[in-house]
Amino acid sequence: MDRRDALMKMFSAKGVKVNTNRGEAYYSKLKETMQKRLNELRNAPAASKVDINKVLEAEGLTRRDFMKWASAACAAMMLPASFTPLMAEAAELMNRVPVIWIELQDCAGNSEAILRSDAPTIDELILETISLEFNETLMAAAGHQAEEHLDEAMKTFAGKYLCVVEGSIPLHMDGQYGTIGAKGETFEEHLLRVAGSSAAVVAVGTCATFGGVPAAAPNPTGAVGVQDIVKGKPIINIPACPANPANITGTILHFVLTGQVPELDHLNRPKFAFGYRIHDNCERRAHFDAGEFVEAWGDEGAENNWCLYKMGCKGPMTFNNCSVVRYNSGTNWPIGAGHGCIGCSEPQFWDKYAQERPMADTHFKAPTGGVEKTVDEFGLGLLTVAGIGIGIHAAISAAAGKKEEV
Amino acid sequence: MKDINKDNNLPTKSNSLPTKPCPLTPTNSKTIEVIEKIEGEAVVEYSFDGDRVDDVKIKFFQSRHIEKILIGKSVNDALVINPRVCGICNHAHLIATVRAIEDCYDSIEVPKNAKILREITLSLELLQNHFKWFYLTIEPLLGFDVQILKATKPSQLISKMIAMLAGQYPHNSYAIPGGVVGALTPLEIVGFKSSLNSLIKIFQESLIDVDLQNFVSCDRIDVMLSKSGDMPRAMQTILDKGYTELGKSNDKFIVFGEGLFKSGKSIKTRVATNIDTKYVESFDIKQSEAKLATYKGKFYEVGPLSRAMLLKTPLIKEAHRKFQDSLFSRILARVCEVPRLLLYTQELIEQIYLNRPFYIEPKILTNGEGVGVVEAARGSLIHKVSVRDGKIEDYQITTPTQWNLSFNTKENPTPVQKALIRSKKSDPLELIFKAFDVCSVCTVK
Repeated sequence: MDRRDALMKMFSAKGVKVNTNRGEAYYSKLKETMQKRLNELRNAPAASKVDINKVLEAEGLTRRDFMKWASAACAAMMLPASFTPLMAEAAELMNRVPVIWIELQDCAGNSEAILRSDAPTIDELILETISLEFNETLMAAAGHQAEEHLDEAMKTFAGKYLCVVEGSIPLHMDGQYGTIGAKGETFEEHLLRVAGSSAAVVAVGTCATFGGVPAAAPNPTGAVGVQDIVKGKPIINIPACPANPANITGTILHFVLTGQVPELDHLNRPKFAFGYRIHDNCERRAHFDAGEFVEAWGDEGAENNWCLYKMGCKGPMTFNNCSVVRYNSGTNWPIGAGHGCIGCSEPQFWDKYAQERPMADTHFKAPTGGVEKTVDEFGLGLLTVAGIGIGIHAAISAAAGKKEEV
Repeated sequence: MKDINKDNNLPTKSNSLPTKPCPLTPTNSKTIEVIEKIEGEAVVEYSFDGDRVDDVKIKFFQSRHIEKILIGKSVNDALVINPRVCGICNHAHLIATVRAIEDCYDSIEVPKNAKILREITLSLELLQNHFKWFYLTIEPLLGFDVQILKATKPSQLISKMIAMLAGQYPHNSYAIPGGVVGALTPLEIVGFKSSLNSLIKIFQESLIDVDLQNFVSCDRIDVMLSKSGDMPRAMQTILDKGYTELGKSNDKFIVFGEGLFKSGKSIKTRVATNIDTKYVESFDIKQSEAKLATYKGKFYEVGPLSRAMLLKTPLIKEAHRKFQDSLFSRILARVCEVPRLLLYTQELIEQIYLNRPFYIEPKILTNGEGVGVVEAARGSLIHKVSVRDGKIEDYQITTPTQWNLSFNTKENPTPVQKALIRSKKSDPLELIFKAFDVCSVCTVK
């Protein structure tokens, strides 16, 4: 088996492939499950009083806009169009699922991106209707009052709420690099307590998923991600710095629809969002294929939005949907402003990828040749680079085969 | 790092006997209040002497040690890592970093277009913070209902405007030594201007209904109060509740950044402009992860009130004459920055010429030392870097919260300590504290 075959095999391995068509039998069964779940939720008491229809009305959005959103959300989550009514219903029932949002060793950037800074598209509006039982950044209550509120929410919704975590967990010095509340609870204790009685844990942002910038070498505080601490609970990782609101809404919607976590890859990332590389759908991809590269900042290529690969863009080895969803409600994204991808949703991006360090300067083998080579050869050269990671993906996913079932 | 507490060697109140025992109320009783609104977490400990605040300690209990993480990394890595110091004022950290690196060069040419773009995105971040602070922090403390949409609408629009120019918000890295990475198109400029006009409209419809140009030269508080909007309503409430004597601090101000602002220090109203960041020192504080910052060993207040004192803006000068550096002046100064920043952004966007460069390649940096200063929403932010063989040898970040909200002894108090000490138990202590606006994320960098 030559290298090319090996690569092809690797890419078509069960654990890596994103299956967008699973056949009728699968979807009709899924539909049934979802309908049952939604009926249950409809009969459950609303955890928050906010009604999505009223919110949409206040924002001047019509039912038609809402249904358009629902069909787009289906596509984003790789479900057939026939799921659109269910998706709309799920959005209306978002307020039945309580969410407790805790911040650990973080910069509040995810809270900023998700809850306050992004434009109110339907995605974000729906996110506003979730029953946010506890969030330190947004809550008016402070101190003891806040702690009481947290305890109460945890008791009332035990086993039902989603625990959303922002920030890493410092373990050095017995966790004394981060304590919370008047009682001086360490972040680790706090996380274990809140995650303990949750239905599932959603780690939001690269700090909560992989340790993030605090875990950068020499990792002075011993920072780790949620999955290193919480065991025996479903964990969904939504990395990126900051995480994209659309992916969080998608994940929560999936939970509303099925009561389960979405299909995950071996790094516990939802496949609907992290199934492709930035490079696969990049708006500058055509320039990569044509061999048109930015060679220096401010050159002809930079002015004409050519491919940033030679300037150190990490799009080819970064799994995320930024190139499709973009940021700030689709306003723009780093590559749109002419800056290469820094791979912020990958483990250890802060040490491995960082700034515009071209591939040649990293410990990855850069694809040789370039303009004169054919697209195929060039692409293959690249894949060997990405392949290091992807090979591991494949191996681990096969071992953790259980995650493949929805 | 010196330990200033050790140097002064002063006993803290909690260890000594109460000086004036009062038979009726328990003295020296310590109430611990946790403040964790906005971001991160700080604990504010009040010690009371009777019904007066005797001393205040502000403690931060977490840290990430990003300064240590930077050591040994390639100098340009700082451009990616530093915005992540703080999700609230990430852009200020990016601009401070790029300025610090550029300062390492003996000579470096940064095109005017790039300088202007950086100023615009920085100003937008200030605006975003001002809106959020006023509506989410100050208004509820004055007894009004929280008007979340009035905070989120402008801040969402502003995030989009920054994204138009810089890629995304928060956490972008579009500024690099020598300029910015991309060039703008005429379409982007048109789109940006249209958003800016919407933002000005939001300001007029929510905060205060005035003509921007006229308002920045307004020097009468009664004229400001006679307008409609949430700002005059809030300021009138402060007057009605008789809060104008509260929150008076050291009356010492310092500003390091330039751009729309002027650097210098102001003691009472005496201004001196010859200041240098080399006299800035930071000290460890016992019992807290935060540090305190001094200039020539003295405490100064940074932030919008300081900037207004240096610029001698008419309305704040008048407020200071009447109410000194009380919370009235502090809150008014911050909100009154909004129209100035809007006008400034409007002027700047007209000065971008698309046919001129946005980037000029500098030579590769191997060795050097540099300082980058910006005026962030809460005050001066200072980055100091030293580079050896292209790697970061040392990195130091001094944040606004280190100036305003650290604590020392009550005999030699920091700005927020001074503002709170001798206040009554029944005073709105939280309002006095939050008029300075804590950004604990930066502080526990």
